Amino acid sequence: MSAIGAAGALFRRDIRAVARSRSQLYSSMLTPLLFLVFLGNGVSEGLAPANLRAGNFTAYLVAGVVVMTSVFSATFSSASYFTDRNSGVLRILLSSPNSARTVLFGKSLAGVCIGAVQASAVLLMASPFVEFEWQYGLLRGAAIAICTILLLNVMLAGVAQALASRVETMQGFHLIMNLALFPLLFFSGAFFPVEHLPFWLEIFARVNPLSYAVDALELAAYANGTAGFFGLALDFAVLGALAAAVYALGLARTPRLTWSGK
Amino acid sequence: MPTNVIAANGVTFSYGERRALDGLTLVVPEGSTFGLLGPNGSGKSTFVSLLAAMEKPQGGALSVFGEPPAAKLRARVGTVFQENALDPLMSANEILRLAGRLFGLPADFIRERSTALLRELGLEGREEEKIARLSGGMRRRLEICRALLHNPDLLLLDEPTTGVDPDERRALWSTLLERKDGARTILLATNDLKEADDVCDYVAFLQGGRVVAIGTPAELKKGLKRESVRVSWASPSDAHLETLANWADGGEVAALDGTVHITVDDASSFVPRLFALAPGEIRSISIETASLEDAYFQHVSRRLPVPAGGPT
Repeated sequence: MSAIGAAGALFRRDIRAVARSRSQLYSSMLTPLLFLVFLGNGVSEGLAPANLRAGNFTAYLVAGVVVMTSVFSATFSSASYFTDRNSGVLRILLSSPNSARTVLFGKSLAGVCIGAVQASAVLLMASPFVEFEWQYGLLRGAAIAICTILLLNVMLAGVAQALASRVETMQGFHLIMNLALFPLLFFSGAFFPVEHLPFWLEIFARVNPLSYAVDALELAAYANGTAGFFGLALDFAVLGALAAAVYALGLARTPRLTWSGK
Repeated sequence: MPTNVIAANGVTFSYGERRALDGLTLVVPEGSTFGLLGPNGSGKSTFVSLLAAMEKPQGGALSVFGEPPAAKLRARVGTVFQENALDPLMSANEILRLAGRLFGLPADFIRERSTALLRELGLEGREEEKIARLSGGMRRRLEICRALLHNPDLLLLDEPTTGVDPDERRALWSTLLERKDGARTILLATNDLKEADDVCDYVAFLQGGRVVAIGTPAELKKGLKRESVRVSWASPSDAHLETLANWADGGEVAALDGTVHITVDDASSFVPRLFALAPGEIRSISIETASLEDAYFQHVSRRLPVPAGGPT
């Protein structure tokens, strides 16, 4: 019995499901791009933010929008968990000889992959239209960005899995995710630089895991200084440790199901 | 002498304060078809859940193939749940391919076995259709294809023929019971007493998480009166039911959902007295040879709380 084979089969099944759901695919790509086009240009032109390089808010916003895409993607990917649970499919998966962790691993890996591809696609689609610095060079910068996106999506998949296995309804899950992740998104540097915030807000930014992803992405593509808010070493140390810990927690929180699915 | 595929001895399980299994004891011999019958909440689904290693017994001893239930044992077990559990966006072939992969089967084997099972269960030509476009009966048959895909030694079936029309049932049971390379054991949890009577070698009646009667259908029917009278009678009074019980002379009297069941030795002398007892109230009467349903009512129904409109 190959656990890897079973996880791979579940991975392919979830990827295929998203690929078939055109509306989900298009909307997940379109929403972040609308943010860049309308919010980015609107703020750049209307407010001319003095703290940003050349007053270009669109370029600044890309890192935040990439993180936001990952957050939304993790939330949407977990919807398949609820669909499977409600339709009884999860019971079928869990009545195979595989452990619940194998089943969750296959499904969450698909979530990581979908989130990472969508976030990378947003970065890729924005790059021709936005003036990036790529201070480490294009290839190294892209590698840093992709590593950051991967770690971020692993962490978010862990959070989503840990929550989904204990929350009864999809509505409740979305509510909790939004309640927790939106404030984190606001104080991560995604929409405004955290360097100039009052001290008490800066503390929020420092304990916020998303801040480290935004910082790494800005250092890779946007910033023209290598210090950043935290610095790449600290960004990867925090993201790596959190991704490993939270993903392990997510897999440990196996769903409780009985024969009758209650 | 056949070995026991399932052995339960004093198994207990509770959901919080509610006792679902209360010292359940039974054995299921290898190669037999064993029916678990009982009202809702009698512990059938909980017991099957323990066998499938979805929950652990809290007391007593339980073994499947001589070992405590565990995930690895599911490689030898096929399951059909009461409700259909198929992804509506997948096709029949995709579902069987995924199920095969989850059981570690080689791709060639999955392809050949899927083709054979789909043909056997009348789903040939529907392989690539999305589940959402299949009828309820077709989905049920596909569930059974999925459960049989890895040629399991033990089948755990929960109301497997729900939604399947009577013509298809015989073919479906023939597929379920057939196995060319040895005996297959089937545990059937059902409320369909007729089906259990037709296909089960052994039957256990469950109530309150305990076995209240167990044996072959013939053994369970042995103590019954010879004939079963079913009377469509909307609201018999307590006095009427008491009179019937006296006339039945030790036979069973059970009133449920507008029908009164009475088992008697000789219906021909009993029925005229019945019409005389309640003229104008009886809508119809049917007389049959005593069945497993009568045995069920003898052992289980009389223990149910008295419903409004008359005792049981």
